[in-house]
Amino acid sequence: MKKLITGVAIVFGLIFPSTHTIAAPPDDTFVVGLPTDTIGLEPAQISSRHTANIMKHIFGQLYSVSESGSIDPNLAESYVISDDGKEYTFTLKEGLTCHDGEALTAEDAAYSFNRVADEDLAFTGNSAGFVYKSIDFKEARADSEREVTIVLGGPNHIALGLIAEVYVHCKDSYEKMSKDEAASNPIGSGPYEFVKWDKGSQIVLKKAANPPIPTNFENVIWRVIPEASTRTAELIAGNVDMITNASPDQVEAIDASSTAKVAKVQGTRRMYVGFHQGPEFAVTPGGAAIQKPEVRRALQYAVNVPAICENLLNAPCTRMTGIVNPNNAHPNLEPYPYDPEIAEYLLDQAGYPRDANGVRFEITLQAGEGRYLNDKNVVLAICQYLDDVGVKTNCEILDWSAVYIPLIKEKKAGPMYFIGSGGATWSPLYDMADLSAPDSGPNYTKWMNEEWFKGWKVINNTNDEYIIRREIDRMLEVFYNEGPWLHLYFQPDFYGVSNRVNWNPRRDEKVDLFNATLK
Amino acid sequence: MFFYILRRIPQTVLVIFGVTLVTFIALQIGGDPTYLFVSERASPEEIEETRKMLGFDKPLHIQYLIYLSNLVQLDFGDSLYYRQPALTVILETLPATIELTIFSMLIAIFGSIPFGILAAIYRGKWIDGSLMAIAMLGQSIPSFWLGIMCILYISLNVSWLPISGHVPFLMLIFQGEFIQAFKNLPTTITYLILPSFAVAFYSVSRNARLIRSSMLEVLSQDYVRTARSKGLSEYIVIMKHAMRNAWLPVVTIIGLEFGFVISGVVVVEVIFAWPGLGRTVFDAISNRDIPLVQAAVVVISLFVIVINLITDLVYAKLDPRIKL
Repeated sequence: MKKLITGVAIVFGLIFPSTHTIAAPPDDTFVVGLPTDTIGLEPAQISSRHTANIMKHIFGQLYSVSESGSIDPNLAESYVISDDGKEYTFTLKEGLTCHDGEALTAEDAAYSFNRVADEDLAFTGNSAGFVYKSIDFKEARADSEREVTIVLGGPNHIALGLIAEVYVHCKDSYEKMSKDEAASNPIGSGPYEFVKWDKGSQIVLKKAANPPIPTNFENVIWRVIPEASTRTAELIAGNVDMITNASPDQVEAIDASSTAKVAKVQGTRRMYVGFHQGPEFAVTPGGAAIQKPEVRRALQYAVNVPAICENLLNAPCTRMTGIVNPNNAHPNLEPYPYDPEIAEYLLDQAGYPRDANGVRFEITLQAGEGRYLNDKNVVLAICQYLDDVGVKTNCEILDWSAVYIPLIKEKKAGPMYFIGSGGATWSPLYDMADLSAPDSGPNYTKWMNEEWFKGWKVINNTNDEYIIRREIDRMLEVFYNEGPWLHLYFQPDFYGVSNRVNWNPRRDEKVDLFNATLK
Repeated sequence: MFFYILRRIPQTVLVIFGVTLVTFIALQIGGDPTYLFVSERASPEEIEETRKMLGFDKPLHIQYLIYLSNLVQLDFGDSLYYRQPALTVILETLPATIELTIFSMLIAIFGSIPFGILAAIYRGKWIDGSLMAIAMLGQSIPSFWLGIMCILYISLNVSWLPISGHVPFLMLIFQGEFIQAFKNLPTTITYLILPSFAVAFYSVSRNARLIRSSMLEVLSQDYVRTARSKGLSEYIVIMKHAMRNAWLPVVTIIGLEFGFVISGVVVVEVIFAWPGLGRTVFDAISNRDIPLVQAAVVVISLFVIVINLITDLVYAKLDPRIKL
């Protein structure tokens, strides 16, 4: 028995001293806790926000969108637009270097843009898909050592912000790598160099020898901690400096700790209930009812959005006034108030009085589960609010990936559906581009309003900022009065932040660690 | 024995074929995964292009035949999520799961044997009652809850062990970095203790009950009485005469359990941020990463088949009456 006790003591003696390795990060290191791993490290193929957040620390962009929504120089110091609006010529800063040690030139920048469009490499995701389709990318060319020109199919008012989503990488290194090799060996141009990626565990970066923008921490570690309660525990224990996607039900525990606080921010993701306007749904009683703008307007008064935010999202919120984020919204439009009496009055006026059972019409509201913050309960609450004004609402909660997303993308969800759409702070037109054309991908409601789509023609045919803003405001009024969305809220984001560091979240779900400092 | 192993090969091929078919059908029931691989604002044309690029535009039977023909050449396809060969992703995450599995099995075996024997020896006494009560508890507590409680009380409150994470050992061994691997070993073990305990607690409990009942049966046999009457010490009687026979049903269970653990540590891997195969498969299913799920299922199936084979061989070795 003595031998056994001695053996156990030796084993524990060996093990427990090493628990000192589980200490707070060193002063020159910032550790982030993420819920999911990166989807590869290929700069030309990014389709998730977490991946983009890591990549923007490894790769520079020509210009980048700041926290306030301004589009600022990053690798480039200036740009000019050709008279026909089709060519954007950027001048790179002097003395830039790639992480492979080579000088970063216009040739690298042009290569990066052309590589994304290379059909042989068959990239998918944000740049190759949405960005290039939106700007109608034609080619990129190096005009000189420091000048690179991006050629578009036509003028585009949001091109600069979209070009800012493309990451610049280094030609020599990428030409030597196969597509598979490039997916796990990023050779960047940004403030941090890639050190290693332990799949499913962590991505380690160190400050580049010649960072293009100033940054404070020498090392950044992105730790993958899928379980929300474990992320919270790591934060409270002081092992990570910041966690993303902090669970609302753990806000209290984090705030009650002496080591961390929760930073809540109203995000840019617009959460709404879509009213499908397609003829396929107009044959149902509810589907026919929501074809009328009067009915859609009435339903805006029926849902208590601030109460949903306070009680189900654990954060106060501002109700949307339409499709655009607040800093770019129409200055004179106020969010619809919660007033069920007005809702009932307007429904009566629209020709939908309550019947003997108290029902005006029946309708189905579809939603996916598990994608957005407390989505299922939010949808159930909306259904209840609509029931309360006599709209008998059948809530259909579906599996997100297998059932709901195919329905949404094929524009078959409805007649009402709940969804969120990523937005931006840097341009109202970016947010409005969900409805850039009657057949645009995200026009899931099949809304065909002539007044709205006429506005795009005006905007696309002028460079006059005043006329553009005036037209935007006119379109936003149309959307407010007749739009196909039941306005909800901008989804709040929760970050847990250690008391050891100064770091502020952004509204647009982008994570910048460049300005983070130690307290 | 050689012929026995040879006879098992066609069975293995058949099992793998069945597994791939069932997995393929199960994954296809979930619908077309293309939508998860396009941007939020993708146009119908872009969705169609991506569908073609991913190969989901072909009829299902063609997709399956392509998969099978590639599989014969040991090409599992590329992970849609990681954009890397699926087999590479599996092999990168497998060592972490093997570490967790082996450590859990060690706890399960070496924890259950003394408990089971003690309970059998002191049958009906308070030791037996206490141990069996703990065993009952162990079989009732879900591993995810146990894991969270361990994090809360052992890691967060008293800071004895790390909350989550992983320090590689086996991976470095496979990469030939032996010095670094053994330098890591003490830290690796500290990171292994809690997740392994959360996985093994159920097995310890079940095996302890099994060993107890098996021992009780053996202890009442004539040859044990004979051994005692020869004047042998109780230690020799238990460990040399009784234990060897009591061990047989336990070997079967442990063999089966190894397969269960290697494929069933998903929840614990998620809670402890353990970058293993279970979590990779879980994520792959959530992300509809069909090639990765298929590759993982084939690899796990092969593991289970090999472990079952080893169990059969060990069983025959322990009990000479069994002929293979």
